[in-house]
Amino acid sequence: MSFSFSDENILKIDKLKERYPSPKALTLPLLWMVQEQEGYISLDAVEVIATHTTRPAMEIYKTATFYTMFKLQPIGEYHIQLCKTLSCMLCGKTEILEEIKSTLGIEVGETTKDGRFTLSQVECLGSCSTAPMMQINTKNYENLTSKKIEQILKELS
Amino acid sequence: MSLVTIRVDDRELEASDGALLIEVLLQNDIEIPHFCYHEALGADGNCRMCMVGIEGQKRPQIACDTFVKEGMQVSTKSPTIRAVQQEILELELINHPIDCPTCDQAGECKLQDYYMEYGLYDSHINPADKVKHHKHIDLGSSVMLDQERCVLCARCTRFTTDITKTNELGIIGRGDEARVSTMPNKKLDNPYAMNVVDLCPVGALTSKDFRFKQRSWFLSTSSSICHGCATGCNIYIDHNCEKYKDATIYRFRPRINNEVNGHFICDTGRLSYKNLQTNRQREILSEGKVIAEEKAIKQYKKMIEEHSNICILVDANCYNEELEAIVQYAQTIDATLLSPLACYEDETFADEWLRSSQRVANAKGVENLGIKTDIPDGYTTDLLINFNHPKPELIASKKKIEFQSHKEREAYLVFPLAVFSESSGTVTNRDNLVQFCEKAICSNEPVPTVLEWIKKLG
Amino acid sequence: MIQETKLVSRRFKIPKVYQLETALKYEAYDTIKESLSQSPKRITNLVVESGLRGKGGGGAPAGTKWQLMPDDDPRPSYLVVNCDESEPGTFKDRQIISRDPHLLLEGMILSSYAIGANHAYIYIRGEYQSFEAILQGAIDEAYEASYLGKDILGSGFDLDVTIHRGAGAYICGEKSALLESMEGKRGHPRLKPKTKEPEWYFDNPTLVNNVETIASVPYIVKNGADAYRQYGTECSPGTLLFAMSGHVNRPGVYEVAFGTSMLEYINHFGGGMRGDKKLKALIPGGSSCPVLTADEVSKATLDYETLQAMGSALGTGGMIVMDEDTDMVEALKNLLEFYHDESCGQCTPCREGTGWSDKLVGKILSGKGTDKDIDKLLSLADLMNGKTICVFAPAVSGVIRSFIEKFRDEFVAKEQK
Repeated sequence: MSFSFSDENILKIDKLKERYPSPKALTLPLLWMVQEQEGYISLDAVEVIATHTTRPAMEIYKTATFYTMFKLQPIGEYHIQLCKTLSCMLCGKTEILEEIKSTLGIEVGETTKDGRFTLSQVECLGSCSTAPMMQINTKNYENLTSKKIEQILKELS
Repeated sequence: MSLVTIRVDDRELEASDGALLIEVLLQNDIEIPHFCYHEALGADGNCRMCMVGIEGQKRPQIACDTFVKEGMQVSTKSPTIRAVQQEILELELINHPIDCPTCDQAGECKLQDYYMEYGLYDSHINPADKVKHHKHIDLGSSVMLDQERCVLCARCTRFTTDITKTNELGIIGRGDEARVSTMPNKKLDNPYAMNVVDLCPVGALTSKDFRFKQRSWFLSTSSSICHGCATGCNIYIDHNCEKYKDATIYRFRPRINNEVNGHFICDTGRLSYKNLQTNRQREILSEGKVIAEEKAIKQYKKMIEEHSNICILVDANCYNEELEAIVQYAQTIDATLLSPLACYEDETFADEWLRSSQRVANAKGVENLGIKTDIPDGYTTDLLINFNHPKPELIASKKKIEFQSHKEREAYLVFPLAVFSESSGTVTNRDNLVQFCEKAICSNEPVPTVLEWIKKLG
Repeated sequence: MIQETKLVSRRFKIPKVYQLETALKYEAYDTIKESLSQSPKRITNLVVESGLRGKGGGGAPAGTKWQLMPDDDPRPSYLVVNCDESEPGTFKDRQIISRDPHLLLEGMILSSYAIGANHAYIYIRGEYQSFEAILQGAIDEAYEASYLGKDILGSGFDLDVTIHRGAGAYICGEKSALLESMEGKRGHPRLKPKTKEPEWYFDNPTLVNNVETIASVPYIVKNGADAYRQYGTECSPGTLLFAMSGHVNRPGVYEVAFGTSMLEYINHFGGGMRGDKKLKALIPGGSSCPVLTADEVSKATLDYETLQAMGSALGTGGMIVMDEDTDMVEALKNLLEFYHDESCGQCTPCREGTGWSDKLVGKILSGKGTDKDIDKLLSLADLMNGKTICVFAPAVSGVIRSFIEKFRDEFVAKEQK
């Protein structure tokens, strides 16, 4: 179960090191790099990052647990992140949430049995004028309606 | 550093310009409640408990992030400060589990102490609403973690990051999900790990070794010196004598001495109290059979008369007073006195901090008294009298008399010997510092000390 | 008739202006050659004179911050652009980086030159990953055209710009927490220094400014401080990309001069209330600003001083509009959940206070609350004010206080009978 960066990523890391006054600054960039390469961040990956950043593994680990976007366990192929903060709530997020839950048959925090979708509620995604909205992986889906939800989930299934 | 005068409540104090206010207050015996500040770790500014009023500042300031200036006026007891202390305390307790009845920290817990001093409010909490975390996590190194009790003062994490630099502990998660933890696959594993138990102001980190053994308020405390190595770390011996039982030591704790061990001791030394109570020699034996003291003394004196080439071996753990008495005694019976020190050396034990490679408490005491520490080539003796030295086999001898604290060896005559916690005396550490050990234990049937034996046998 | 004053958003509607080729047709990087041939102090002085105020929520004069950067220090200086935009109701900085990134880069070159920084970073929130391609594309183009990198346009000034991605932590928008994050650590705000000094990145003097603040610099440098001051008010010169969301017909970002009437803004740009409902409440500057009643909104103008005098704040100018059907208890619960999620957990009053107040409002919302709970909420608000390491908790304090004081009857109505 051990982790290693792809060759491409190793080259990126070397270039990145030149842009910062200390290798410790690479902590977040490398956590992202691992997550993009593997889908989540394993403890082995934490050790590798520790070496690159010249920091103890615990420093990397506790940093990773602080940020909500870093996944230390594998999740579904599509991570549905529904915005739950005020503007989205005011514009009908609750109904959208129910729609997603009933369509996929999962609760918030759960993953569909086929491993396709994981559902989370997240705080303000900075797209308040197109509320209610959600992010699936890195893509934004805005001005959501029940119909749109149906469409989007169908497309991704 | 120039000195400045400041005013704290109704007292005038002198302090170095720019000194940390909380240090100045604590050094002057002014009580300031605090969790995250620790003399050996510095301040972290996260508990917010040490708030004081500073003249000229609209809001209360934390004393651990305030630096002393000439003419500073500090109030620690005003109604505003009292209110803030009570409120912050209430917040510390809002998610704190009501574990006191089963928590080892009870009686020496900062939350309890501060509640009695600064709290005493009607609680508004609903236990059902408390944030839940993991309890009784075995971290390794005999340390138990209860994440719910933790006040997130970060003393333990700063200890493993800044002091031991082993980085096992960290705060993970965020907000009120934040909790102390090790990495999932790692344990707390360094020679000083158990110090976090003392550092923890509450019952989050407790000693597995001490778990559920005694209530702290039943313990009596004596000041002593660890005998694990030549560093001579200062310790407290916590002991209790329960009804019908023999007085028992339950734990060692570090005793602050900035010249020797600061605030800490190593785990080996901390747990060495067990040695004082296991496998003890308590009976007088003659060729393996229990005999009465009077008879044994007679036999002993006969042996002394019958032999001319006598060697006395002495353990370098003996107190200076005991060594002096043995020196005198050796002269009176015209015996050669030796205390070989090489056998106490253990390079693997030594480190750059508190652990010395010389695993004995009073080697310097032996040297200072001029006791010979190496064995002449080809030396043999007719009668070897061993006062607890661990390696009497170093001396070739025809007959042996052992004064031993533990059931180590057989001999012609075996006399039981007290351990250091059962009498008082001084030891001299590797830096030639003479340090005093209080007598801690008074057994129901006390075993004689070296001094007592010499009196009886002299 | 109010209209937008497009000082920063001037090029937003031009198709593909994020591509250098197009941007150059509309005066992108116009200020660079001349500015880099003159004293860096010139730029700083212009910014100071313009009265430009930081647009990240604090509103502190930007020039004053710039002047804290040392003149003569052997250590390297850094510029960090704060694109952590996570304040609920705020979505203006994303417009700049996704529509006109070259404007931001131009501002970064000018600002870095002014403070003597050869390395600048854009700390972008992890959730804005989809805009990174555009932003990085603009950066790459700028390097190629010698607007970035070594010896910019032959001036002898070097500047490297690197995007640094956050990972989902609102508190990393607080500048000291942001720098902790950039150092690879948990986003714990730092204890505030006793004297005025710059920020520190790995112990090097650093300037942290919001995206829009930096994006405002090219206009000021090009047109002068007076030109900037002709817009806005005496205390709040210039413009802001005000954002509007919630129960309005046309939510969005519209750049207006400070001093504009809030109600006119909502009606003109927002197209008034959805479904012709009545306005009930409005949060003026991102959720961390005390809520305003409809009556207060009718008297408010969009500037720092007026809102402060009303006991609220302009913040990031992200307005959240609530109509008469809004359940204010539910709205407060929603916000307190946000603060509960986002508290870094470092200091006691915030960590425990945000959790507890969230639970208390939840209790009231579910009909199990009592008068005591309402009073407890108010005293918690008090406790979180002024006793913490950073201003996160005081913001929560203001939110709780304003909701309960101004809409107490709704909280009381939900109490258990």
